[in-house]
Amino acid sequence: MKRKVKGKAVAAALILTLTVTGLTGCTFGFASDPDDPNQVEEKVEIDTSIDTFSYDSALKGTSITLMNSKAEIQVALEEMAVVFEEKSGVHVEVMPVTDGDSPYTKVVSLYNSGNPPTLSILDTTDVIALAQEKAEDLSAEEWTKEAEGYLTEVNGKVYGFPLCIEGRGLIYNKAVIEQALGETFDPASIKTQEEFTALLDRLVAAGIERPVSMAKEDWSLGAHQLQYIYETYDGTSEGAQQVIEQIKSGELQVEDHQRMTEFLNTFDILKKYNVAKGDPLGADYDEMAIDLADGKTAFWFNGNWAWPNLKEAGAKNEDAYGLLPYFLNNDENDFANQMIQGSPSKQVMLDGQVADEKQKAAAKEFLNWIVYSEIGQQMLVKTCNVIPPFKNNPYEPEDPLSRDIYEHVQNGTAFNASAIVPNDHWAVLGAAMQKYLADRCDRAELMAAIEEYWSQQ
Amino acid sequence: MESKKKGKDFCIFALPGMFCFFAVVIIPFLYGVYLTFTDWDGVAQTKNFIGFSNFIGVVRDGQFWLSLLLTFRYVIVVVILVNVLAFAIAWLLTRGIKGQNFFRAGFFTPNLIGGIVLGYIWQFVFSRVFVNIGESTGWKLFEISWLSEPNKAFAALVLVSVWQLSGYMILIYVAGFMGLSEDVLEAASIDGAAGWAKLKNIIMPLMMSSITICLFLTLSRAFMVYDVNLSLTAGGPYGTTEMAAMHVYEKAFTSRQFGVGQAEALILFIVVACISGLQVYLTKKQEVEA
Repeated sequence: MKRKVKGKAVAAALILTLTVTGLTGCTFGFASDPDDPNQVEEKVEIDTSIDTFSYDSALKGTSITLMNSKAEIQVALEEMAVVFEEKSGVHVEVMPVTDGDSPYTKVVSLYNSGNPPTLSILDTTDVIALAQEKAEDLSAEEWTKEAEGYLTEVNGKVYGFPLCIEGRGLIYNKAVIEQALGETFDPASIKTQEEFTALLDRLVAAGIERPVSMAKEDWSLGAHQLQYIYETYDGTSEGAQQVIEQIKSGELQVEDHQRMTEFLNTFDILKKYNVAKGDPLGADYDEMAIDLADGKTAFWFNGNWAWPNLKEAGAKNEDAYGLLPYFLNNDENDFANQMIQGSPSKQVMLDGQVADEKQKAAAKEFLNWIVYSEIGQQMLVKTCNVIPPFKNNPYEPEDPLSRDIYEHVQNGTAFNASAIVPNDHWAVLGAAMQKYLADRCDRAELMAAIEEYWSQQ
Repeated sequence: MESKKKGKDFCIFALPGMFCFFAVVIIPFLYGVYLTFTDWDGVAQTKNFIGFSNFIGVVRDGQFWLSLLLTFRYVIVVVILVNVLAFAIAWLLTRGIKGQNFFRAGFFTPNLIGGIVLGYIWQFVFSRVFVNIGESTGWKLFEISWLSEPNKAFAALVLVSVWQLSGYMILIYVAGFMGLSEDVLEAASIDGAAGWAKLKNIIMPLMMSSITICLFLTLSRAFMVYDVNLSLTAGGPYGTTEMAAMHVYEKAFTSRQFGVGQAEALILFIVVACISGLQVYLTKKQEVEA
């Protein structure tokens, strides 16, 4: 009897909770929960009234596939495919690369099964690795003229369509800095390492105990941070290549490389003011976004891809976020102290091996549509929310980080250099950098690890 | 006539299974062995025979041997802990204690959660929950995330694996205990065997078939650990918890040294096959009939 009463009480309590939560509209999900039914999907309006693009009617009914390795634009690409099909009659099937897979592994396995995607969105190194075996030569395409400076060539030929520009640097939260210092903050006023350190000291004095966030992830440390030693050589991809060749051949010792020392000086500064200084390898990526949005920190070393995380943490499109350069020294005239890095990151490769002529033509039309049609231009910027590398695209990105990089690119204060390094560079040297970040090795050991890595290539 | 029928039976019952087994296990395995002697990079259309170059690459890959050594350490600790723990719990859960069915189900549950999910859950526990506990209590043990210190990260990996694997082993041991003949145990008691003597001389020999299975399962599972390794530590901090299986994958797909990775996988297979084979042979010899 007692048990029965107890059971009834539990059931009643459950019903009560359910009703209350039902009535108040409270859900158990997080605010950013993608499956949250209460969340209103904000939709960016695309103006489709004007379209001067000429479609090839012979391609109607053709079906092509697009492998997407940029998870955050999957939905946007699907929308684009729908609109493109309405207009051109070409069906584009967008297939995502699932989280655990690497894009390269996925595309290679698709090739080996004889069913490769017509178009695939890949990293630049992947395109270089696959270009000669599998890719279609795109050098003669019209859009190459609009993307000048953002094309990657393999043996003098273009095999990749640059989909977007991505930039990195020290993300700042302007409101936090201004509130702490009680004055307006002009990012352009910081021009040297010393000035940056002074700013950090003032923030500390103003009560932000440790104003910097630093990701412990190997891709952040090994690729985004360390690669400054190649990319700031002269701010071009060719320069980066030159340094790499010199290090590889042993002509340039890493410890003699001036940018290496400068880079580590900056890295040490970030380390000193790191919010997770007590346990840098226990730092949590999502928490960094929350810290920056909430004002626990003022800086986060990252790139414009961090925007979705910041947005989830409560940042809004109209908030003032931007990027500072990765200050390397105290020379005001050094370009590295004036410019942020911004380069094309994802490339679209067209299959040249299995796709038939009609499919190739349809794929090329899709790429041209992105560059030249009013709708494609809008959708690339507004729906996908990326920074377009094409000069003729008049639309500006919406989120503050992309907008800042876009402005840097327009004003000539961004340098376009991307080092082409072996595919495991980020993983192997990322681990070495983690060790240095956690103070478990010194500069000499880190540099020896870098030397060792390159000597094996 | 008899043999004709046998042939037909074979075709009906064994052939489909054999076909699948060959198609998804034997042929890919042999093909994989063949690939270790070529310079194929996963993309190229031509495969050139290069002899033992890939194996020379394996010998030179110091990191592989380190990760293999680490795997051995891991396997030893995990196999011992899982089996001792599972044996002890199974023994407790067959003595008729209150709510033993509930406990059996409870201990088995971790096994139902996939390794990847399990890894992420525990990652949260180690780097957030424990750190929070450390902050509020001031305990040195939880001051920093376990996952950011090599030895503790290794301990974390062992802990999670033991937690996951023991449930399954408990189930097998419970079945073993329930199959023990009451007569034999009673006879032993009457003869004056009790406690340790009874366990060592009566129960253990009778449980040997369960032990054979459990040791084999834990050995092979521990050697091949990948999912928990990937989602809990991802080889970190700075590559110190990268087990052999993970290293093989990284070699083949991240470093894109397909041939060397494949050769390493083959070596790992041989090591695991030899050790588990030896274990089965040795423990089988100990098995007795009641």
